[in-house]
Amino acid sequence: MSGHHIIPLKVLLNTTIALLALTIVTVGVFYLDIPAPFDVVVAIILASSKATIVAMFFMGLYYDDKFNTIVLIFSLIFLLVFVGITLLDTLFRDSTMAIW
Amino acid sequence: MAQASSINKSRVQHHFMNAEQQFSSSKLGMWLFLFTEIMFFGGLFVAYIIYRSWNPELFTMAATQLDTMLGAVNTVVLIGSSLTIALAIRSAQLNDTKKIFYYLLSTIALATVFLVIKYFEYTAKFDVGILPGAMYTFEGIDHPKANIFFSIYYMMTGLHGLHVLIGIGLMLWLLVRVKAGDYSSEYYTPVEMTGLYWHIVDIIWIFLFPLMYLID
Amino acid sequence: MEQASLNAKKLKVRYFDIDENPSEHYLNAEKGLKSWLLTVDHKRIGLMYLASVILFFFVGGVLAVVLRTELFTPTENLMNADTYNRIFTLHGAIMVFLFIIPSIPAALGNFLLPMMLGAKDVAFPRLNLASFYIYSVGAIFALISLAVNPIDTGWTFYTPYSIQTGSAVILITLGVFIMGFSSILTGMNFIVTIHKLRAPGLTWGKLPLFIWAMYATSIIQVLATPVLAITLGLLIMERFLGIGIFDPALGGDPVLYQHFFWFYSHPAVYIMIVPAFGVISEVISTFSRKTIFGYWAIAMSSLAIAFIGSLVWGHHMFVSGQSELSTVVFSFLTFFVGIPTGIKIFNWLATMYKGSIDMKTPMLYAMIFLFLFTIGGVTGIMLGAISVNVHLHDTYYVVAHFHYVMMGGTVMAFLAGIHFWWPKMTGKMYSEFWGRIAAVIIFIGFNVTFLPQFIMGSQGMPRRYFNYIEQFQSMHQLSTIGSYLLGIGFLIIGAYLLHSLFRGEKASSNPFGSRTLDWMTSSPPAHHNFNYTPVVYNGPYDFHKPIADFTIGIAGSDEHHGHGETVKADKAEA
Repeated sequence: MSGHHIIPLKVLLNTTIALLALTIVTVGVFYLDIPAPFDVVVAIILASSKATIVAMFFMGLYYDDKFNTIVLIFSLIFLLVFVGITLLDTLFRDSTMAIW
Repeated sequence: MAQASSINKSRVQHHFMNAEQQFSSSKLGMWLFLFTEIMFFGGLFVAYIIYRSWNPELFTMAATQLDTMLGAVNTVVLIGSSLTIALAIRSAQLNDTKKIFYYLLSTIALATVFLVIKYFEYTAKFDVGILPGAMYTFEGIDHPKANIFFSIYYMMTGLHGLHVLIGIGLMLWLLVRVKAGDYSSEYYTPVEMTGLYWHIVDIIWIFLFPLMYLID
Repeated sequence: MEQASLNAKKLKVRYFDIDENPSEHYLNAEKGLKSWLLTVDHKRIGLMYLASVILFFFVGGVLAVVLRTELFTPTENLMNADTYNRIFTLHGAIMVFLFIIPSIPAALGNFLLPMMLGAKDVAFPRLNLASFYIYSVGAIFALISLAVNPIDTGWTFYTPYSIQTGSAVILITLGVFIMGFSSILTGMNFIVTIHKLRAPGLTWGKLPLFIWAMYATSIIQVLATPVLAITLGLLIMERFLGIGIFDPALGGDPVLYQHFFWFYSHPAVYIMIVPAFGVISEVISTFSRKTIFGYWAIAMSSLAIAFIGSLVWGHHMFVSGQSELSTVVFSFLTFFVGIPTGIKIFNWLATMYKGSIDMKTPMLYAMIFLFLFTIGGVTGIMLGAISVNVHLHDTYYVVAHFHYVMMGGTVMAFLAGIHFWWPKMTGKMYSEFWGRIAAVIIFIGFNVTFLPQFIMGSQGMPRRYFNYIEQFQSMHQLSTIGSYLLGIGFLIIGAYLLHSLFRGEKASSNPFGSRTLDWMTSSPPAHHNFNYTPVVYNGPYDFHKPIADFTIGIAGSDEHHGHGETVKADKAEA
């Protein structure tokens, strides 16, 4: 629960190396020409794992009060709700629902 | 507060029991603020996702106008700055005032590099008429909604750039206070909070980079 | 974590002395204008908010009466159509953004929340003051836009019209944008305060329901307001740069604007009503002399409303051209909001069942709330059904519905709260006699104003029109007369409250015999609320214990206080 955890130097350096490595992978994947919907999926997965690493180690969530993690997860859930429900409109605007 | 003896105690405002309670309150407050930042940028991400789902071919064409190399360099620059500010916080925890100063200074330097690169990217586009929305005159992309892509691009990167600028301002203010000897391992809350802010700016760029520059 | 482990035997206990009335309190602890303008005391900030929202309620109310006067006849009798459009826009924008949203959360919430938690202040007092000034700056922008060139878009600023009409749109959206930050900061402050600054012994299960309601409200504020900020930011950019994201002329999509806008503005409806639920829970329990029925059901239904309320924004857009699929989904989800709201209503009724009900003014308003809000809620469910909605969309039926919810719900609860906590805030009692008379006038006036609007709406009278066909004249005239009655009722309230400030009887510290912590301080409260750290071991609604036996623990005087005060333990037990 203590917010005063001193993160070991080694963890910080390893985090940076991991982030740089994932950046290289991200750019590399771009040149691989993955077919249409999956290129976005891969890009999002890579970006999300980078973001998770930053949040856990640079931002110290791994060592921190767990409630702060809950706050972060909540914000992502609400963002997904926002995207998801709006897409229910924009993706289906031309289709009529014959069964109704 | 007047009769409080140690430096540590004087940092605790009257309505808190102790420094620990005050620190954890600040941290929760900061996380809630980051929550609002995520929703704030979230609105733009939603606009992005919807226009991309409507016009996937436009995004593929338009992304070719963005310089992948510069985007990648900026990603590395921001990751580096995230490391330096994390080190600044670590130095504060270890009570090494001199190092806080230098790490903050290098974070500011990296942030400035980021903005300079962004400046060259922007001006290069302005020159060929790639401007947001109604002012868009570029003819290299054969799509009626190319202007919308660049509106989204400018709004997202512009808002992100504004956050970088605010971050630089915050860190300059921290530098002044570090020089004044305000921070130690007993009290370094503003450094920690600025660090959290800076990491979220980094995270947003981590998403912007593949979504804008790397579309094929 | 921060709560000291309690040793019940060694704990000093303080009996609650009901007649205690201090000579020194927060109102005279510091003097001069500067002590108000630069205060970080949550109670003073709460009062400054209270004064501002009452001012804007007055302005918005006058505009409403002007609108109703114009509608007295089917043709033009006071103003032309353009002026009418501007005035109803201003009425809506002022009432929503400047009055209702900050009314209960910022005014009553700021005053009460730390006291109910046994804290000396909110977690970030300076941020709290900042948020008041941010609100003021936003209000000034809105007022400038009023002076420059009033806008005529309605309070929703729908594109593309808001991109084309007068330039004041930028000013007022900027004002609303700025006020949004004030709302965010208040919400953050409250969440952190509730999490971190509860007095020792005050567990989550002992929080007053007003706190639970404020917690749910704060979550919505923090969650939804940033989306409003980015929406209005994009709208402003649309005006300055023509970015085209919402502008069909440039290839954009105006319906997307409506999604963005209602993603905030529908949850904002719950920012307006959920704090009202909190007030009603306190009032009903206190004046029924009975433990609240279904504590956890009421507490959790607030959070459920906050969550479900975030999923239903599209029911404002049934006829805007969104996809049929999303229309069906939104309609379906909308019905779910009725469940937690119904849970609350039934629990309040069960609380009153076999209680010894005391019909004082606050309780009278709570009764009015139950009556009017239930009508507002049920008509809301009707409007959530697609087929009914398409028929009634943009008619007076909708106008009547949201006035029954916003005014019949929130404003009545606000009045209940003001009367309930007036002795605590000012240390003075108001006239009970005039209080009841005004409540009855307002109840009658309200129904005379808005019931005819349901009928007109169902017969097809569209909203936002400044003239109408003669068939509706009698209904409109009835409505206008009702609005005058409402105005008279509010003037009476203003008069006797002002009178009580100067001539009112001195209030005791707990005139209504309530059991929550805010009543365990003097009236008006001390500069730092409590001169000791209270230790709570009673529940907030322990009405089964007589007030004479009611005690509060004292965990030592606080060394951070710096005022040299010692604990005043009247009857310390060994």
